[in-house]
Amino acid sequence: MDLRDKLKKVIRERNLAMTLPEAEKLAGYVGRMPTPLELHLFDTMWSEHCSYKSSKPVLKQLPTQASNVVVGPGEDAGIVRFCTFDGVDWDLVVAHESHNHPSQVLPVEGAATGIGGIVRDVYCMGAKVTGSLDLLRFGDPTGVSGEGARAICRGVVEGIWKYGNALGVPNLGGDTRFHEGYDDNCLVNVVALGFVRHDRIAHSFVPEEAHTEQYVLILAGKPTDDTGFGGATFASADLEDKTEKGAVQVADPFLKRVLSEANRNVLDLLFEKEIPFGFKDLGAGGIACVTSELAAHGGLGIHVDLDKVPISIQGLPPEVIACAETQERYGLAVPESIAQEILDIYNISFELPRLFPGGGASIIGSFTKEPVYRVVHRGIEVAGAPINCITEGIVYEREWKPSPVPLTEPDNRHVDPPSDLKKMLLSLDGASRSPIWSYYDSEVQGTTHFRPGEADACVTVPIKGCKAGLAVSGDGNPWFGQLEPFLAGAHAVGEAVRNVVATGAVPIAATDCLNYGNPEKPDVFWQFRRGVEGIAHACRNLGLESEGEHPLPIVSGNVSFYNQSSSGGSIPPSPIVAVFGRIDDFTRATDLSLKTPGNIIILVGPREDEFGGSLYYRSCLEHSGGKVPLFRGELEYEMARFVLDCTEAGISQSVHDISEGGLALAAVEMALATRKDARRGVILDKGFKDPVFLYSETPGYLIEMSPEDWEGISAKPDFASPIGKVTDNFSISSNNWKLNLSEVLEEYTTLLDRIIWREELSE
Amino acid sequence: MTSRPLVAVLQFPGSNCEYETASVVRESGMDAAIYRWNQCKELSDSDPDAFILPGGFSFQDRVRAGAVAAKEEIMDLVFNKAQSGKPVLGICNGAQILAESGLVPGWENGRIESALAANHIHGRSGYLSRWVFLRVKKRALRISPWLQMIGSNPIPVPIAHAEGRFVFAEKDSHRVRECTALAYCDENGTETSDYPVNPNGSFMNLAGIMNREGNVLAMMPHPERAFWMWQIPPWIPGTWGDRRTSMNHDPAMAASKGPGALFFRSLANHFMIP
Repeated sequence: MDLRDKLKKVIRERNLAMTLPEAEKLAGYVGRMPTPLELHLFDTMWSEHCSYKSSKPVLKQLPTQASNVVVGPGEDAGIVRFCTFDGVDWDLVVAHESHNHPSQVLPVEGAATGIGGIVRDVYCMGAKVTGSLDLLRFGDPTGVSGEGARAICRGVVEGIWKYGNALGVPNLGGDTRFHEGYDDNCLVNVVALGFVRHDRIAHSFVPEEAHTEQYVLILAGKPTDDTGFGGATFASADLEDKTEKGAVQVADPFLKRVLSEANRNVLDLLFEKEIPFGFKDLGAGGIACVTSELAAHGGLGIHVDLDKVPISIQGLPPEVIACAETQERYGLAVPESIAQEILDIYNISFELPRLFPGGGASIIGSFTKEPVYRVVHRGIEVAGAPINCITEGIVYEREWKPSPVPLTEPDNRHVDPPSDLKKMLLSLDGASRSPIWSYYDSEVQGTTHFRPGEADACVTVPIKGCKAGLAVSGDGNPWFGQLEPFLAGAHAVGEAVRNVVATGAVPIAATDCLNYGNPEKPDVFWQFRRGVEGIAHACRNLGLESEGEHPLPIVSGNVSFYNQSSSGGSIPPSPIVAVFGRIDDFTRATDLSLKTPGNIIILVGPREDEFGGSLYYRSCLEHSGGKVPLFRGELEYEMARFVLDCTEAGISQSVHDISEGGLALAAVEMALATRKDARRGVILDKGFKDPVFLYSETPGYLIEMSPEDWEGISAKPDFASPIGKVTDNFSISSNNWKLNLSEVLEEYTTLLDRIIWREELSE
Repeated sequence: MTSRPLVAVLQFPGSNCEYETASVVRESGMDAAIYRWNQCKELSDSDPDAFILPGGFSFQDRVRAGAVAAKEEIMDLVFNKAQSGKPVLGICNGAQILAESGLVPGWENGRIESALAANHIHGRSGYLSRWVFLRVKKRALRISPWLQMIGSNPIPVPIAHAEGRFVFAEKDSHRVRECTALAYCDENGTETSDYPVNPNGSFMNLAGIMNREGNVLAMMPHPERAFWMWQIPPWIPGTWGDRRTSMNHDPAMAASKGPGALFFRSLANHFMIP
């Protein structure tokens, strides 16, 4: 049998995702038939999930550089400068990933490992993780596949709380959307953030010093088993076979918490002794990826001995030991001379072997000047590849074909504000998310100022004694995605920026997760390209921190393709963006609850007739519409500037951005957020029932301020004008209509609980 | 010059509130040090003046929440110090450990007489994060070193737990009344056993219980998360809500204390810290 046939056979027998030309490329690197371990290692490294082979050429468009960027995309997490306090420079570390496919198959474990993986990416930069958020997209819980969608939603929320709460990382919300396009393929995007001293950033490669001093590789954490074998490859395939549950990892937040405490002690020791080291978490591709990448990115080879790896299942073949994605493990490259001291921290001080049988830290390899990736198992060499092929990328130029959606409009736009607002409030997308958030611990660590739902973005005070606040929000509108992929990308940035700005924080960085269908389909790849272009366009327009000089930088992210059902239907194009902002004095941060009767409501952002994907069309007219709101970059920038100036001046008493349901629903939400013993409402100045004025989702903001403060603004921008007043009546009204909010409060607050958890599905 | 009292904050494998708890102790004029579960000697040598068992998921909630930690050697030391009258506070998972170690209610030395069961009440089961109101019972206010500064007005604090429902035998109601320290109530101080005022179905609306002497307090809510005014949600009703609202956009909010600070202030006061 010639090599080609042998490769064909092994791809089939081992169920590899790599193509024949890719296998031939690998055979060329090693100069022979690759070993099973080599095949599985490269199958992971060249998976779409790890290699970005389809997306890389397109992602180049994203702005990733700005004056505040310390580490852009490329390492496990992105880093930007945050603040200086007490002589110490603090940096913000952020990471953003998807865990879609595992969560569809095993929702609890999938969502849990999603958090587990993303926090490891932030930890391994040397940071303390201070928050996580989940951006969730589920199928229609009331639709034809409702039972499945509800079960997945419950499972995902359970996975998030069981893992995140135990880990002790506050959950900073995120968003949740329901759309039948996710019936067969939910999205679970996860963001983690943390802080690190600028002089204590850890890197994921063996340091320069390893060229002159012997360095070894310590593996710390859970004993290796066979879970997650082929996980990255699984994440890059469509969900035809839901039986591939073995590819989903099993998470253990308890071990992770103890391991994080031990890591903190280890890293402190290394920094105090000024010993350079490399540190990387084990994710996709397990031991094989972490060892080869730590070595390759540091310009060295490595010799790994699989017999030294603590394992919990006897008799595993070498490729499984090397490539399984067992959770809760880290790899650490340190000088041999300090290794014992470090092992003792894990094994004696923190008693990992007692707390988790078989767990602990061991030396499993040494770095070599010989530029070879060599793995030995029971005395036999099971991998031996030139180290430089590890970093060799692989790229495909995918075809794309524009496939715009035709614009349609409803025949008539009936307007009845009390009934329209009720419908929107009591819709799946309009109802309160508090039933979901009530499972999350948003306050552990004691740094939370605004919890999910209290302001447009969560605000924390992460650095003890320092007044700098962090605001974070994640967004992405599937209804826009379905109609106009470019604007979906642009508005994902725009909406997240507005949410951060509404609190008074200046956006300093963004991350993205790009969720699409099969990139081999030209229409899907076009959606992806347009989404990236939209994100890039918005980021270039919204460099608020540098006053327009630099873009808002995308510093980390992830691409998730093959999100589709077995029948081949793709999910709605779903670019999801998280934006991180800083407010120099968190006591100035502004929530969304109305404060003082007699104050006026300022509308920022003129209303336009653009209802594509709007909540009004969907909930009240049962129509999806066509014309998605335009993204007006300069205006967005100017509006954000104005809102920030008002907060800075201390005159904004409450702020809310205008998104789904338009101005009227935004005003209602500001009223619903008020104290139950100090209820407030809004009376609109305009009496006429104009759908554009009331419900248009043209981006904008509502600001509450006193009439005197409004008069005091010397240069009033022409995009801002008063439209109503705050009252002490818990209602929204104008001179010819009124909705009492006490009528809807209970239903609005409990709707998701009743549908998702109690399965109350009347009608 | 007298030195500041030392409060030991215990770290079990899986604890996750030890740092912020130690931090608020220091902010209250006392020293705090974190001791790992296997640092028995260090703990014993430093002879702390008080002990706090922080929140978290010690030993992964294996068997029952708090059950494994209660059997650790370090708890023998805490047990003895508690018996000798030193103040001991268990918060959330720490409260579960105190119940499992028999320190509360402590009717019979070292016997487990109470349990913290899974939240269950008409309206909501399972893990719940929520702000609730608490009131201190009269006797507790008089005798517990953790409560004296709180007074009789209801205070808002958050809960975050899946197993926080105090369970006692009905025949013990009378004795329970005596060990009741904190009860769930509404913002006016009225107790009801309906969700969400009682968030988890706890017997007699119990949020915290103590031993007979009052030096050992086991509470499910997290006072360290209500230590600062800025930690209080903007929508909190009642008098604490009024204070919070009046501090909106006031730079003084950064250093202004919230209701949770009263627990730690009480301890400092107990030690005569001005």
